[in-house]
Amino acid sequence: MTAVLNALASFFLLAVTAVFAQNAVFSRALGVSRLVRLVGDTAVSNRTFGLLLGVILLISSPLAWLCSQAMAGWEYRRAVRPLLFILCATLAYLLVMYLIQWLHAPHAKELVAVLPLATFNTAVLGPLLIADTQSFTLPQTLGFSIGSAVGYMLAVAIVAEGQRKLQSESVPAPFRGLPITLIYIGILALAIYGFTGHMVSI
Amino acid sequence: MKLKKAQFLSENMETIARRDRILLNNPVIMQGMGLAPLVVAATTGRSALILSVAVLLLLTPTRMLAALAARPVPYRFRAVVYCVLAAVLYAGVYILMRNWFEVEQTLAVGMYLPLLCVEPLIIKRYERPRKEPVLVALQKGLYITGGYILILMLMGCLRELLATGTLFGRAVSGVHLLPVASLPAGGFILVGVLCAIWRGAVRAYKNYVHREANRTV
Repeated sequence: MTAVLNALASFFLLAVTAVFAQNAVFSRALGVSRLVRLVGDTAVSNRTFGLLLGVILLISSPLAWLCSQAMAGWEYRRAVRPLLFILCATLAYLLVMYLIQWLHAPHAKELVAVLPLATFNTAVLGPLLIADTQSFTLPQTLGFSIGSAVGYMLAVAIVAEGQRKLQSESVPAPFRGLPITLIYIGILALAIYGFTGHMVSI
Repeated sequence: MKLKKAQFLSENMETIARRDRILLNNPVIMQGMGLAPLVVAATTGRSALILSVAVLLLLTPTRMLAALAARPVPYRFRAVVYCVLAAVLYAGVYILMRNWFEVEQTLAVGMYLPLLCVEPLIIKRYERPRKEPVLVALQKGLYITGGYILILMLMGCLRELLATGTLFGRAVSGVHLLPVASLPAGGFILVGVLCAIWRGAVRAYKNYVHREANRTV
Protein backbone atom coordinates (compact mmCIF):
# COMPACT_ATOMS: atom_id res chain seq x y z
CA MET A 1 0.00 0.00 0.00
CA THR A 2 2.83 2.39 0.91
CA ALA A 3 4.56 1.59 -2.39
CA VAL A 4 1.38 2.47 -4.33
CA LEU A 5 0.99 5.73 -2.40
CA ASN A 6 4.65 6.61 -2.98
CA ALA A 7 4.28 5.91 -6.70
CA LEU A 8 1.15 8.08 -6.88
CA ALA A 9 2.87 10.87 -4.92
CA SER A 10 5.91 10.88 -7.23
CA PHE A 11 3.58 10.75 -10.28
CA PHE A 12 1.66 13.86 -9.18
CA LEU A 13 4.77 15.69 -7.95
CA LEU A 14 6.53 15.28 -11.29
CA ALA A 15 3.34 16.11 -13.21
CA VAL A 16 2.86 19.41 -11.32
CA THR A 17 6.58 20.23 -11.65
CA ALA A 18 6.41 19.67 -15.41
CA VAL A 19 3.34 21.90 -15.76
CA PHE A 20 4.68 24.89 -13.81
CA ALA A 21 8.25 24.95 -12.44
CA GLN A 22 9.77 23.01 -15.36
CA ASN A 23 7.34 24.04 -18.07
CA ALA A 24 8.52 22.58 -21.39
CA VAL A 25 8.26 25.92 -23.21
CA PHE A 26 9.22 28.52 -20.61
CA SER A 27 12.09 26.70 -18.91
CA ARG A 28 13.51 24.53 -21.71
CA ALA A 29 12.09 26.07 -24.94
CA LEU A 30 10.85 22.62 -26.04
CA GLY A 31 8.55 22.76 -29.05
CA VAL A 32 8.86 26.54 -29.23
CA SER A 33 9.57 26.62 -32.98
CA ARG A 34 6.27 24.78 -33.49
CA LEU A 35 4.49 26.98 -30.94
CA VAL A 36 5.34 30.27 -32.64
CA ARG A 37 3.89 28.92 -35.88
CA LEU A 38 0.92 27.28 -34.18
CA VAL A 39 -0.37 30.47 -32.53
CA GLY A 40 -0.55 32.26 -35.88
CA ASP A 41 -1.96 29.28 -37.82
CA THR A 42 -5.74 29.20 -38.06
CA ALA A 43 -5.72 25.87 -39.95
CA VAL A 44 -4.46 23.89 -36.93
CA SER A 45 -6.46 23.96 -33.71
CA ASN A 46 -4.30 24.49 -30.58
CA ARG A 47 -6.51 22.08 -28.62
CA THR A 48 -6.24 19.30 -31.22
CA PHE A 49 -2.47 19.70 -31.41
CA GLY A 50 -2.08 19.65 -27.61
CA LEU A 51 -4.38 16.64 -27.24
CA LEU A 52 -2.50 14.60 -29.85
CA LEU A 53 0.84 15.59 -28.27
CA GLY A 54 -0.45 14.36 -24.90
CA VAL A 55 -1.64 11.03 -26.30
CA ILE A 56 1.67 10.45 -28.12
CA LEU A 57 3.64 11.22 -24.95
CA LEU A 58 1.37 8.99 -22.87
CA ILE A 59 1.94 6.00 -25.19
CA SER A 60 5.63 6.56 -25.97
CA SER A 61 6.90 7.37 -22.47
CA PRO A 62 6.47 3.84 -20.97
CA LEU A 63 8.06 2.37 -24.12
CA ALA A 64 10.98 4.81 -23.80
CA TRP A 65 11.31 3.91 -20.11
CA LEU A 66 11.60 0.23 -21.05
CA CYS A 67 14.31 1.12 -23.60
CA SER A 68 16.16 3.13 -20.93
CA GLN A 69 16.11 0.14 -18.59
CA ALA A 70 17.35 -2.17 -21.34
CA MET A 71 20.21 0.21 -22.23
CA ALA A 72 21.35 0.86 -18.63
CA GLY A 73 25.13 0.72 -18.36
CA TRP A 74 25.73 0.37 -22.10
CA GLU A 75 28.63 2.48 -23.39
CA TYR A 76 26.89 3.81 -26.50
CA ARG A 77 23.48 4.50 -24.97
CA ARG A 78 23.80 8.28 -25.41
CA ALA A 79 24.48 7.77 -29.12
CA VAL A 80 21.51 5.49 -29.84
CA ARG A 81 18.86 6.74 -27.41
CA PRO A 82 17.41 9.38 -29.82
CA LEU A 83 16.90 6.61 -32.41
CA LEU A 84 15.19 4.31 -29.91
CA PHE A 85 13.00 7.10 -28.51
CA ILE A 86 12.03 8.21 -32.03
CA LEU A 87 11.07 4.59 -32.78
CA CYS A 88 8.92 4.59 -29.60
CA ALA A 89 7.24 7.81 -30.79
CA THR A 90 6.78 6.22 -34.25
CA LEU A 91 4.99 3.24 -32.67
CA ALA A 92 2.71 5.65 -30.82
CA TYR A 93 2.19 7.57 -34.08
CA LEU A 94 1.14 4.44 -35.98
CA LEU A 95 -1.14 3.30 -33.17
CA VAL A 96 -2.91 6.68 -32.91
CA MET A 97 -3.21 6.99 -36.68
CA TYR A 98 -4.81 3.57 -37.08
CA LEU A 99 -7.08 4.19 -34.07
CA ILE A 100 -8.31 7.45 -35.61
CA GLN A 101 -9.06 5.70 -38.90
CA TRP A 102 -10.52 2.55 -37.32
CA LEU A 103 -12.85 4.50 -35.02
CA HIS A 104 -13.89 6.81 -37.91
CA ALA A 105 -13.24 9.71 -35.53
CA PRO A 106 -14.90 13.00 -36.44
CA HIS A 107 -12.48 15.29 -38.35
CA ALA A 108 -10.25 12.23 -38.93
CA LYS A 109 -8.58 13.88 -41.94
CA GLU A 110 -7.61 16.94 -39.90
CA LEU A 111 -6.34 14.79 -37.02
CA VAL A 112 -4.17 12.63 -39.31
CA ALA A 113 -2.74 15.77 -40.95
CA VAL A 114 -1.75 17.27 -37.57
CA LEU A 115 -0.46 13.99 -36.12
CA PRO A 116 3.13 14.10 -37.59
CA LEU A 117 3.55 17.68 -36.33
CA ALA A 118 2.48 16.62 -32.84
CA THR A 119 4.65 13.48 -32.84
CA PHE A 120 8.01 14.44 -34.35
CA ASN A 121 8.56 17.41 -32.17
CA THR A 122 11.09 18.53 -29.54
CA ALA A 123 8.18 18.70 -27.06
CA VAL A 124 7.87 14.88 -27.37
CA LEU A 125 11.52 13.80 -27.57
CA GLY A 126 12.56 16.34 -24.88
CA PRO A 127 10.57 14.86 -21.94
CA LEU A 128 11.67 11.33 -22.96
CA LEU A 129 15.33 12.41 -22.89
CA ILE A 130 14.90 14.23 -19.55
CA ALA A 131 13.25 11.16 -17.99
CA ASP A 132 16.17 9.03 -19.19
CA THR A 133 18.89 11.49 -18.11
CA GLN A 134 17.37 11.93 -14.64
CA SER A 135 16.72 8.16 -14.24
CA PHE A 136 13.02 8.57 -13.46
CA THR A 137 10.97 5.58 -12.33
CA LEU A 138 7.97 4.50 -14.45
CA PRO A 139 5.39 6.55 -12.44
CA GLN A 140 7.73 9.57 -12.50
CA THR A 141 8.23 9.18 -16.27
CA LEU A 142 4.47 8.99 -16.84
CA GLY A 143 3.81 11.95 -14.52
CA PHE A 144 6.51 14.07 -16.16
CA SER A 145 5.28 13.23 -19.67
CA ILE A 146 1.64 14.04 -18.93
CA GLY A 147 2.68 17.18 -17.06
CA SER A 148 4.87 18.26 -20.00
CA ALA A 149 1.94 17.87 -22.41
CA VAL A 150 -0.39 19.84 -20.11
CA GLY A 151 2.34 22.47 -19.59
CA TYR A 152 2.80 22.76 -23.36
CA MET A 153 -0.96 23.25 -23.89
CA LEU A 154 -0.97 25.87 -21.12
CA ALA A 155 1.95 27.71 -22.75
CA VAL A 156 0.21 27.63 -26.16
CA ALA A 157 -2.98 29.02 -24.57
CA ILE A 158 -1.09 31.82 -22.77
CA VAL A 159 0.91 32.80 -25.87
CA ALA A 160 -2.20 32.63 -28.11
CA GLU A 161 -4.07 34.86 -25.65
CA GLY A 162 -1.15 37.30 -25.61
CA GLN A 163 -1.25 37.53 -29.42
CA ARG A 164 -4.38 39.68 -29.25
CA LYS A 165 -2.47 42.43 -27.42
CA LEU A 166 0.76 41.85 -29.35
CA GLN A 167 -0.97 42.60 -32.66
CA SER A 168 -1.56 46.18 -31.48
CA GLU A 169 -0.58 49.07 -33.76
CA SER A 170 1.51 50.51 -30.93
CA VAL A 171 4.05 47.70 -31.34
CA PRO A 172 6.87 49.03 -33.64
CA ALA A 173 6.71 47.43 -37.11
CA PRO A 174 10.02 45.44 -36.97
CA PHE A 175 8.95 43.88 -33.66
CA ARG A 176 5.55 42.64 -34.88
CA GLY A 177 5.04 38.88 -35.30
CA LEU A 178 7.87 36.54 -34.29
CA PRO A 179 10.15 39.08 -32.46
CA ILE A 180 7.52 40.38 -30.05
CA THR A 181 6.20 36.82 -29.46
CA LEU A 182 9.71 35.69 -28.43
CA ILE A 183 10.18 38.70 -26.13
CA TYR A 184 6.75 37.97 -24.59
CA ILE A 185 7.72 34.31 -23.98
CA GLY A 186 11.00 35.53 -22.46
CA ILE A 187 9.18 37.81 -20.01
CA LEU A 188 6.82 34.95 -19.07
CA ALA A 189 9.88 32.70 -18.54
CA LEU A 190 11.33 35.34 -16.20
CA ALA A 191 8.09 35.17 -14.19
CA ILE A 192 8.53 31.37 -13.92
CA TYR A 193 12.01 31.95 -12.41
CA GLY A 194 10.18 33.84 -9.65
CA PHE A 195 8.73 30.44 -8.62
CA THR A 196 11.70 28.16 -9.30
CA GLY A 197 14.52 30.58 -8.40
CA HIS A 198 17.08 28.63 -10.41
CA MET A 199 17.87 27.31 -13.87
CA VAL A 200 16.69 23.77 -14.64
CA SER A 201 19.18 21.13 -15.75
CA ILE A 202 19.35 20.44 -19.48
CA MET B 1 24.26 51.38 -56.44
CA LYS B 2 24.51 51.00 -60.24
CA LEU B 3 21.31 51.33 -62.28
CA LYS B 4 21.41 47.86 -63.88
CA LYS B 5 22.15 46.13 -60.60
CA ALA B 6 19.42 48.06 -58.77
CA GLN B 7 16.85 47.25 -61.47
CA PHE B 8 17.81 43.58 -61.55
CA LEU B 9 17.63 43.31 -57.75
CA SER B 10 14.36 45.24 -57.61
CA GLU B 11 12.69 43.06 -60.26
CA ASN B 12 13.90 39.78 -58.76
CA MET B 13 13.87 40.72 -55.07
CA GLU B 14 11.21 38.18 -54.05
CA THR B 15 13.00 35.26 -55.75
CA ILE B 16 16.41 36.34 -54.45
CA ALA B 17 15.05 36.81 -50.92
CA ARG B 18 13.31 33.43 -50.96
CA ARG B 19 16.51 31.60 -51.99
CA ASP B 20 18.89 33.46 -49.68
CA ARG B 21 18.82 31.42 -46.46
CA ILE B 22 21.67 33.34 -44.86
CA LEU B 23 20.72 37.04 -44.79
CA LEU B 24 17.40 37.90 -46.45
CA ASN B 25 15.46 34.74 -45.53
CA ASN B 26 17.38 33.33 -42.57
CA PRO B 27 15.47 30.30 -41.17
CA VAL B 28 15.73 31.54 -37.58
CA ILE B 29 14.96 35.20 -38.18
CA MET B 30 12.13 34.81 -40.69
CA GLN B 31 10.57 31.43 -39.79
CA GLY B 32 11.54 30.91 -36.14
CA MET B 33 13.19 27.52 -36.78
CA GLY B 34 15.85 25.97 -34.55
CA LEU B 35 14.89 28.06 -31.53
CA ALA B 36 15.24 25.46 -28.74
CA PRO B 37 19.04 24.93 -28.96
CA LEU B 38 19.58 28.62 -29.70
CA VAL B 39 17.60 29.88 -26.71
CA VAL B 40 18.69 27.36 -24.06
CA ALA B 41 22.00 25.75 -25.02
CA ALA B 42 23.88 28.41 -27.02
CA THR B 43 24.91 30.39 -23.94
CA THR B 44 28.64 30.58 -24.74
CA GLY B 45 30.78 30.70 -27.85
CA ARG B 46 32.02 27.17 -27.15
CA SER B 47 28.50 25.71 -26.76
CA ALA B 48 27.45 27.48 -29.97
CA LEU B 49 30.49 25.97 -31.73
CA ILE B 50 29.58 22.43 -30.58
CA LEU B 51 26.00 22.88 -31.78
CA SER B 52 27.27 24.36 -35.06
CA VAL B 53 29.49 21.32 -35.73
CA ALA B 54 26.56 18.99 -34.98
CA VAL B 55 24.23 20.93 -37.31
CA LEU B 56 26.92 20.96 -40.02
CA LEU B 57 27.28 17.17 -39.82
CA LEU B 58 23.56 16.42 -39.50
CA LEU B 59 21.48 18.83 -41.55
CA THR B 60 22.65 18.45 -45.15
CA PRO B 61 23.34 14.67 -45.03
CA THR B 62 19.90 14.05 -43.44
CA ARG B 63 18.18 16.16 -46.06
CA MET B 64 20.01 14.46 -48.94
CA LEU B 65 19.49 10.91 -47.63
CA ALA B 66 15.84 11.66 -46.87
CA ALA B 67 15.33 13.10 -50.37
CA LEU B 68 16.51 9.73 -51.72
CA ALA B 69 14.85 7.41 -49.21
CA ALA B 70 11.49 9.22 -49.04
CA ARG B 71 10.80 8.82 -52.78
CA PRO B 72 8.79 5.56 -52.60
CA VAL B 73 7.33 6.36 -49.15
CA PRO B 74 3.70 7.61 -48.85
CA TYR B 75 3.34 11.21 -47.63
CA ARG B 76 2.05 10.30 -44.15
CA PHE B 77 5.18 8.27 -43.35
CA ARG B 78 7.70 10.77 -44.66
CA ALA B 79 8.19 12.39 -41.23
CA VAL B 80 9.26 8.98 -39.89
CA VAL B 81 11.89 8.65 -42.66
CA TYR B 82 13.36 12.11 -41.93
CA CYS B 83 13.51 11.60 -38.13
CA VAL B 84 14.85 8.03 -38.22
CA LEU B 85 17.55 8.98 -40.74
CA ALA B 86 18.55 12.00 -38.61
CA ALA B 87 18.74 9.75 -35.53
CA VAL B 88 20.82 7.11 -37.34
CA LEU B 89 23.25 9.80 -38.51
CA TYR B 90 23.24 11.31 -35.00
CA ALA B 91 24.73 8.09 -33.56
CA GLY B 92 27.80 8.54 -35.78
CA VAL B 93 27.94 12.30 -35.22
CA TYR B 94 27.82 11.82 -31.43
CA ILE B 95 30.74 9.35 -31.48
CA LEU B 96 32.76 11.72 -33.69
CA MET B 97 32.03 14.68 -31.44
CA ARG B 98 32.96 12.72 -28.34
CA ASN B 99 36.40 12.26 -29.89
CA TRP B 100 36.74 15.88 -30.97
CA PHE B 101 35.43 17.71 -27.87
CA GLU B 102 35.85 17.13 -24.14
CA VAL B 103 33.01 15.26 -22.40
CA GLU B 104 32.16 18.30 -20.19
CA GLN B 105 31.81 20.49 -23.27
CA THR B 106 29.38 18.15 -25.02
CA LEU B 107 27.45 17.72 -21.76
CA ALA B 108 27.10 21.53 -21.53
CA VAL B 109 24.66 21.47 -24.46
CA GLY B 110 22.81 18.59 -22.76
CA MET B 111 19.83 17.12 -24.54
CA TYR B 112 19.89 19.85 -27.21
CA LEU B 113 22.36 17.77 -29.21
CA PRO B 114 20.04 14.70 -29.57
CA LEU B 115 17.04 17.04 -29.92
CA LEU B 116 18.46 18.16 -33.27
CA CYS B 117 17.07 14.89 -34.71
CA VAL B 118 13.51 16.27 -34.50
CA GLU B 119 14.33 19.96 -34.86
CA PRO B 120 12.10 21.53 -37.58
CA LEU B 121 15.24 23.10 -39.06
CA ILE B 122 16.41 19.60 -40.09
CA ILE B 123 13.17 17.72 -40.74
CA LYS B 124 10.69 20.40 -41.78
CA ARG B 125 10.99 19.54 -45.50
CA TYR B 126 8.76 16.47 -44.98
CA GLU B 127 5.74 18.79 -44.59
CA ARG B 128 5.86 19.77 -48.25
CA PRO B 129 4.08 17.28 -50.53
CA ARG B 130 6.48 17.83 -53.49
CA LYS B 131 9.47 15.48 -53.39
CA GLU B 132 12.87 17.15 -53.31
CA PRO B 133 15.65 16.36 -55.84
CA VAL B 134 18.93 15.33 -54.14
CA LEU B 135 20.96 18.20 -55.63
CA VAL B 136 18.40 20.75 -54.45
CA ALA B 137 18.52 19.12 -51.01
CA LEU B 138 22.32 19.50 -51.00
CA GLN B 139 22.18 23.14 -52.05
CA LYS B 140 19.39 24.16 -49.65
CA GLY B 141 20.89 22.10 -46.83
CA LEU B 142 24.20 23.94 -47.13
CA TYR B 143 22.54 27.36 -47.26
CA ILE B 144 20.31 26.64 -44.25
CA THR B 145 23.31 25.27 -42.33
CA GLY B 146 25.24 28.48 -43.09
CA GLY B 147 22.35 30.69 -41.98
CA TYR B 148 21.78 28.77 -38.77
CA ILE B 149 25.48 28.61 -37.84
CA LEU B 150 25.75 32.37 -38.37
CA ILE B 151 22.94 33.03 -35.86
CA LEU B 152 24.19 30.34 -33.43
CA MET B 153 27.70 31.80 -33.26
CA LEU B 154 26.42 35.36 -33.08
CA MET B 155 24.04 34.56 -30.22
CA GLY B 156 26.52 32.32 -28.37
CA CYS B 157 29.27 34.97 -28.39
CA LEU B 158 26.87 37.83 -27.60
CA ARG B 159 25.29 35.98 -24.66
CA GLU B 160 28.67 34.98 -23.22
CA LEU B 161 29.93 38.54 -23.56
CA LEU B 162 26.83 40.06 -21.94
CA ALA B 163 26.50 37.49 -19.16
CA THR B 164 30.10 36.94 -18.09
CA GLY B 165 32.24 39.47 -19.99
CA THR B 166 34.23 36.67 -21.66
CA LEU B 167 34.55 35.28 -25.18
CA PHE B 168 35.38 31.57 -25.63
CA GLY B 169 36.33 31.56 -21.93
CA ARG B 170 38.80 34.45 -22.17
CA ALA B 171 38.16 37.68 -20.25
CA VAL B 172 37.22 40.58 -22.53
CA SER B 173 35.53 43.27 -20.47
CA GLY B 174 35.29 41.96 -16.91
CA VAL B 175 31.82 43.54 -16.68
CA HIS B 176 28.70 41.39 -16.28
CA LEU B 177 26.38 43.63 -18.28
CA LEU B 178 23.35 41.34 -18.47
CA PRO B 179 23.60 38.15 -16.34
CA VAL B 180 20.10 37.05 -17.45
CA ALA B 181 21.50 36.57 -20.98
CA SER B 182 22.76 33.12 -19.94
CA LEU B 183 19.25 31.98 -18.93
CA PRO B 184 16.56 30.77 -21.36
CA ALA B 185 14.48 33.91 -20.60
CA GLY B 186 17.41 36.10 -21.66
CA GLY B 187 17.85 33.88 -24.72
CA PHE B 188 14.21 34.42 -25.78
CA ILE B 189 14.48 38.19 -25.29
CA LEU B 190 17.83 38.53 -27.10
CA VAL B 191 16.70 36.36 -30.04
CA GLY B 192 13.51 38.47 -30.21
CA VAL B 193 15.51 41.72 -30.28
CA LEU B 194 17.96 40.29 -32.86
CA CYS B 195 15.00 39.19 -35.05
CA ALA B 196 13.51 42.70 -34.90
CA ILE B 197 16.82 44.41 -35.79
CA TRP B 198 17.55 41.89 -38.57
CA ARG B 199 14.05 42.14 -40.06
CA GLY B 200 14.22 45.94 -39.88
CA ALA B 201 17.57 45.87 -41.72
CA VAL B 202 16.20 43.51 -44.41
CA ARG B 203 13.19 45.79 -44.91
CA ALA B 204 15.44 48.88 -45.10
CA TYR B 205 17.69 47.13 -47.67
CA LYS B 206 14.69 46.14 -49.85
CA ASN B 207 13.30 49.71 -49.70
CA TYR B 208 16.74 51.08 -50.61
CA VAL B 209 17.00 48.78 -53.66
CA HIS B 210 13.50 49.67 -54.90
CA ARG B 211 14.18 53.39 -54.32
CA GLU B 212 17.46 53.24 -56.24
CA ALA B 213 15.82 51.36 -59.13
CA ASN B 214 12.98 53.89 -59.37
CA ARG B 215 15.14 56.99 -58.82
CA THR B 216 17.41 56.34 -61.76
CA VAL B 217 14.67 55.37 -64.25
